[in-house]
Amino acid sequence: MLPVSLLVAIVLSVGSLSPHDVHARQTVIKVAGSSTVLPIVARAAEAFSARHPHMRVMVSPGGSGVGVKLVGHHLVHIGMVSRRILDNERAGFPQADFHIHVIGRDAVACVVSSEIHDAGVTILSKEDIRRIYVGEVTNWREVGGPDRDIVTVDKEAHRGTRHVFMEYIFGISRAKTPGVDLVTGSNNEQLTKVALSNAAIGMLSHAWLNTDVVGVGIRDGETVLTLTDEHVQNGTYPMVRDLSLITDGTPTGPASKFIAFLLSPDGQRIVHEMGYVPVR
Amino acid sequence: MIPWLLGIAFLLSSSLAGIILIFLISGSLPIFEAYGWSFVTGREWFVGETYGALPMMYGTTVVTGIALGVALPLGLGTAVMTSEVVGRQTRHVLKSMMELMAGVPGIVYGLLGLVLVTTWIRDLFGLIDGNCVLTAGLLLGVMILPTVMTLSEDAIHAVPRLYRQQARALGFQAHEVILHAVLPQAIPGIVGAMLLGLTRAMGETIAVMLVIGSLDRLPAPLYNLFAPAQTIASKIGREGAEAIGVGLHWNALVALGLILFVMVMTLTWSAEQLGWKGRLHRI
Repeated sequence: MLPVSLLVAIVLSVGSLSPHDVHARQTVIKVAGSSTVLPIVARAAEAFSARHPHMRVMVSPGGSGVGVKLVGHHLVHIGMVSRRILDNERAGFPQADFHIHVIGRDAVACVVSSEIHDAGVTILSKEDIRRIYVGEVTNWREVGGPDRDIVTVDKEAHRGTRHVFMEYIFGISRAKTPGVDLVTGSNNEQLTKVALSNAAIGMLSHAWLNTDVVGVGIRDGETVLTLTDEHVQNGTYPMVRDLSLITDGTPTGPASKFIAFLLSPDGQRIVHEMGYVPVR
Repeated sequence: MIPWLLGIAFLLSSSLAGIILIFLISGSLPIFEAYGWSFVTGREWFVGETYGALPMMYGTTVVTGIALGVALPLGLGTAVMTSEVVGRQTRHVLKSMMELMAGVPGIVYGLLGLVLVTTWIRDLFGLIDGNCVLTAGLLLGVMILPTVMTLSEDAIHAVPRLYRQQARALGFQAHEVILHAVLPQAIPGIVGAMLLGLTRAMGETIAVMLVIGSLDRLPAPLYNLFAPAQTIASKIGREGAEAIGVGLHWNALVALGLILFVMVMTLTWSAEQLGWKGRLHRI
């Protein structure tokens, strides 16, 4: 399999060569992975480069799975992940020593199109959500909404948001969901699909919620869990996850500087500004 | 010196297809060893458990078919009109416009499709959602239309004047001249134009990815064009970066690439057969 990885490496490195790299003597820190973590890192990259003009941070999306893979292949310095690193991912890189640096926390919301929310679906039970995703419930009427078919929106299987959501709803992060109508990739894509529909249910990072895409309360047994900063901080909201940067081994040089910046008060302020919960 | 350079250029470019084919075959061997034919006939794709390519093959075929259904009549009609009916100036403007449009990248069509076409289709047909096979097919049809149109126009325009004059002299009506004297001559070129459009449609990734729903499932019933689906290209686009380089998942995606390669080759070959027959038949 060596030639394949080599080929991939060549393709990726050729793609990322810009005139900037060649002419200026800049150190480039490459970061890739989770689209949930990306806004923080992208904003932090600007602030970081302003302070260290000789260092440039290149950030690209792709999902947590991609972050792990690219760090494992040493194609990027830092990976962004919004979920645990899976056992099979660790097994894929036996020689890698993944270090995890938690930079913030995020909550995953179960979201519905605003039309559905306005029509009265403001709370769904955990069991309702499960039944929608396996296809046992296909009309909003059955869960107290209007008589309209449900557009069930899922995410690509390796996405961190999906892992957190499914782990809570189904008890396993890689649950099978035969009731699904659409599969999307990034948070932005999920947001667009749910917002454009008038009958959709989906899962979205807290930071992406807006007036077109509204989070619903989740009834778990007797309690109703609503997504508020307070509930995230005191741990009562269940779908909370760490947002992390990962490196192979202890980070050194520019990469360690960048991670330290994200953990500094200025970095943590960016975490808060982007709609997430700081860790320090 | 120059013959040498030409020779090297020839060798490099002609071996490229071979290199790609070898890469595809060697990369997909593990998945065929593990699954055999059931990779091609399998309907389930769940990473780490099972890999079946049928829904993606079906999606690619149907979407391409719809695209052809849109682009062929519209493209050919416009081509005949542009070449035979309108004046030189108008032809020039039309052609430049079409050639400009042929260069518009897929992502532009994809975004337009995502924001506009999916909602139009949803509202027009009263669907619960507009991300479906039909939307992807229509979008691809519009996308390949300029290619099909401008290349078939070239083919029609290249038919010598003599044919038209003689057909006229024999008493043919204007539409008979086009139908019986001009078009038969242009068929190989038209087939080529169609082919180029079709292969672009089959390989289009991002535009399809954004509007097809990306669901690895055969529509039920099979002719349901309002169901979400997945094409080979959109599947590879979605999962390529995640599977990169290692494991059965990667092999499965490379095997999908191989299947697409074979589909395109089959199409090219059969269209060439058709085109040749058409020409020999008429002359």
